[in-house]
Amino acid sequence: MKKILIIIAVLAIGGGFFAYQMYNKPHKDMTSAESDLAISSTDLLAAFESDETSANDLYNDKVVAVTGNVLSVSNEEGITKVTLDAGNPLGGVICQLDELSDHERTSFEEGESVTFKGLCTGYLMDVVLVRCVEVK
Amino acid sequence: MKKTVFIALIGCFFIQTGFSQKYFTKEGKVEFHSHASMEKIEAVTNTATCVLDASTGKVEFAVLIKSFQFEKALMQEHFNENYMESSKYPKAIFKGQIVEWSNIDLSKDGNYDLKAKGALTIHGATKEISAPVKIMVKNGKPTASTNFNVALADYNIEIPAVVADNIAKEVDIVVNIELQELKR
Repeated sequence: MKKILIIIAVLAIGGGFFAYQMYNKPHKDMTSAESDLAISSTDLLAAFESDETSANDLYNDKVVAVTGNVLSVSNEEGITKVTLDAGNPLGGVICQLDELSDHERTSFEEGESVTFKGLCTGYLMDVVLVRCVEVK
Repeated sequence: MKKTVFIALIGCFFIQTGFSQKYFTKEGKVEFHSHASMEKIEAVTNTATCVLDASTGKVEFAVLIKSFQFEKALMQEHFNENYMESSKYPKAIFKGQIVEWSNIDLSKDGNYDLKAKGALTIHGATKEISAPVKIMVKNGKPTASTNFNVALADYNIEIPAVVADNIAKEVDIVVNIELQELKR
């Protein structure tokens, strides 16, 4: 009888611990995350412009490594966003730097070629990647 | 004769474009708060887009659901997968109008309390809404902020009974945007 109680107690504590771990599961570590695919900013924007639905299926939630030339950089409330030129005057690829990762730098020169890996979230006027980390 | 018509048309075109000045942002901030008895849930995104037509006060606003960042990864997962189904419905969109926009004078600094009315689409469902908007004009640039509630049931977002105490029935939405002149 006692044995059963102990087993139940152990299971309950284990279960509780597991549930707590699940609840506090950390966000994906973007610095160590392997990119699922690599693409140029021009091709990425073109994919969304030509067929948004299939591009959503293909890229959203994936760690996408995107390479392009810096068009502009903004920094507001400590959030840095780098817009990559995608050969289109209307839109580009916006890479929002990850707030949970350490960055070697948060300033970028206009026109320089840079690669970020981040989570693709979809397309508005631009393709938007969040939680980006620079790839060297 | 033909020439005069042509010139007149060109003239009309220029007047038209001259008046339909647009303002936009790609860095709109949207946050939401759910205060339920068991849990407080908050998330924020800084990549909302907004286009405002300065001649009519027409507004279009869009935000990517997957761009919302939560403190807890598990909440973010549930939000996207179970409640918002963001793979199926990647965007929330508002299309509407600032009521009494003509009261606004963009040429001088000032504060206005107005209303926005229009159609809000979330989770594939569209509802007519109206929300108070504070507009601040500074150096010719409008900044807008609004705060309104959205009832999850209105947008067919189902919350299972097990977590009913963890998620508020009405979610508080706060929007802050700084608009820039759209140059062509």
